[in-house]
Amino acid sequence: MALTTPPHAVVGTPYRPYRRGVENAILGGVCGGLAIRLGVKERTVRIVFSLMALVGGLGILLYMVLWLTRPRAGEDEAIGHRLLGHRELHRVLIGLIAIVLCIFLLFSLFAPNFGVFTWPLIFSLIAAIGVWRGASSDERHRLEELVRSAPLIGAPASRTRRVLWLRVILGVVLVSIGLRTLRHVRGFWGGTTPVLFGIIILVAGVLVLLAPWWLATLNDLSGERRARVRVEERANVAAHLHDSVLQTLTLIERAAGDETAVTRLARNQERELRQWLFEPERALDGDGGGSLTSQLHALESEIESDYGIKVELVAVGDCATNADVLALVAAGREAAINAARWSDATSISIFAEVEPQAITLFVRDRGKGFDVDAVPRDRQGIALSIRQRMLQHGGTASLKSALEVGTEVQLALPRKP
Amino acid sequence: MGQPRVFLVDDHELILSGIRSELAGSVDLVGEADEVDVAIEMILERTPDVVLLDVHMPGGGGLAVLNAVSAKSPTIRFLALSVSDAAEDVISVIRAGARGYVTKNISGPDLLDAIYRVGAGDAVFSPRLAGFVLDAFSLEGVNLEAGDVDPELDQLTPRERQVLRLIARGYSYRDIGTELTISPKTVESHVSSVLRKLQLSNRHQLSHWASERHLN
Repeated sequence: MALTTPPHAVVGTPYRPYRRGVENAILGGVCGGLAIRLGVKERTVRIVFSLMALVGGLGILLYMVLWLTRPRAGEDEAIGHRLLGHRELHRVLIGLIAIVLCIFLLFSLFAPNFGVFTWPLIFSLIAAIGVWRGASSDERHRLEELVRSAPLIGAPASRTRRVLWLRVILGVVLVSIGLRTLRHVRGFWGGTTPVLFGIIILVAGVLVLLAPWWLATLNDLSGERRARVRVEERANVAAHLHDSVLQTLTLIERAAGDETAVTRLARNQERELRQWLFEPERALDGDGGGSLTSQLHALESEIESDYGIKVELVAVGDCATNADVLALVAAGREAAINAARWSDATSISIFAEVEPQAITLFVRDRGKGFDVDAVPRDRQGIALSIRQRMLQHGGTASLKSALEVGTEVQLALPRKP
Repeated sequence: MGQPRVFLVDDHELILSGIRSELAGSVDLVGEADEVDVAIEMILERTPDVVLLDVHMPGGGGLAVLNAVSAKSPTIRFLALSVSDAAEDVISVIRAGARGYVTKNISGPDLLDAIYRVGAGDAVFSPRLAGFVLDAFSLEGVNLEAGDVDPELDQLTPRERQVLRLIARGYSYRDIGTELTISPKTVESHVSSVLRKLQLSNRHQLSHWASERHLN
């Protein structure tokens, strides 16, 4: 993604890889991108393509092929690739074949002797349809703007009656000139240039006639789609609010007398809503289990709801779980429960950091603390079990505590390569 | 220094009155606003020491206020306040110039402490923010994009890393000083230097977070 290609061609400095230009694009950015790739002026590439276009429309075909097969700068996928990955590929193919047949029929009716060089133009046309269908929304937007701002075709042109008449007359004239040019083509190999101009004039005529209408339908369609998406999204949000927030509010109303219950409910709801709003991927995972972070988040909610104490979890980096990591989390859990039960603190801090060589986990409270050398039996038991667990998995555990300052359990687990 | 002159910006009346009652008597409240435009105008007029700024507001959010005010009056310091502690939000207001970030469920004394700290020109790092910074300046990232790393701005010193880790573990500045046997003032200067790097560094993850901001 983060390719550092310059937005404009730097003459004499070729850049890799070849991506279609964005900022220096006139139509599809093919020439602009090529200029950047080769380190020549944009104008040079454009002139070469124009000259090639005169050779039986080959330049145009080449342009369209590059447009289809090269990704746009900043995008990962070429339009053609995207089209092939499309679910309704067979429908697109049937449509394409139908178009080719139609064109073939049209030509055999009006211009029976068209030259072989016409085919590049036909394929270019099909490629253009492909580009339109497969363009990323960003590029599609750009193309729509381009069509819309074109004189006579664009939306502003369809407003007044005079322009409408002008358009119809111009369109009809262009179409008939185009057809006439095509009809006068003689010979199999000859007449390339008339064919080229004939088709260009014909296409221009059709565009002038039909494009405004087509653009209007396009607008209607995308507007409709947007509206539908909005309704769905709204239903989604409403369902979620109903399931979670409304339920919790009812529970809070019922538990109004019980302060700890209300706090716990509010905190659970807050965490859940926050996750839904800001970390949708994790919310979708459900309980997730797969990574250290998701395990720790589960631990956080467990402690918060079971003991009504605030847990401040900070995790740096992440890794997949295995038996060792699970043991580390379990040891951390014991430490956290310990703190929640005995420390009288209002919150517990849990900090985990995954580094290339080791995973460290700190569980700290700023509660009453204790004298490590004069530990009551039951607490020593817990400390021992934490230590035992860590040792079994090749890790270490240590404990620091001071009266009126708090307690911190430090766990470390080396990572095996 | 006497009581800092504080200005409140938040579009929720409940939050405003809550903060007002928590801070009353401990700071000099010079005004409050619940709209972006009004806030900008009043802040520039009253030039408070510290602006307590809600990140999520209609009309461009706290970011709009921050940008408009700091362009004209760079000495006013901002402490961002939000219900969300998503990385995009935190990083984007810090990079826009806020000297600290706290979430709305912060306790009264902690908020007061944060305001005094920001008023004195120091930075306020919550454990969560420290975690974000450690993530963004991770050592693995450096190896990946070794080419364009400015060691002055794009890397943390081992000491800064240590300090951030302790903040993330829930240590206060005083505790950190004791732990590393340095003075609280030195801890402050490490944190300020991290803040500067956070605001100026070009590391990919930071700009990524800052641009991913989707709410206002």
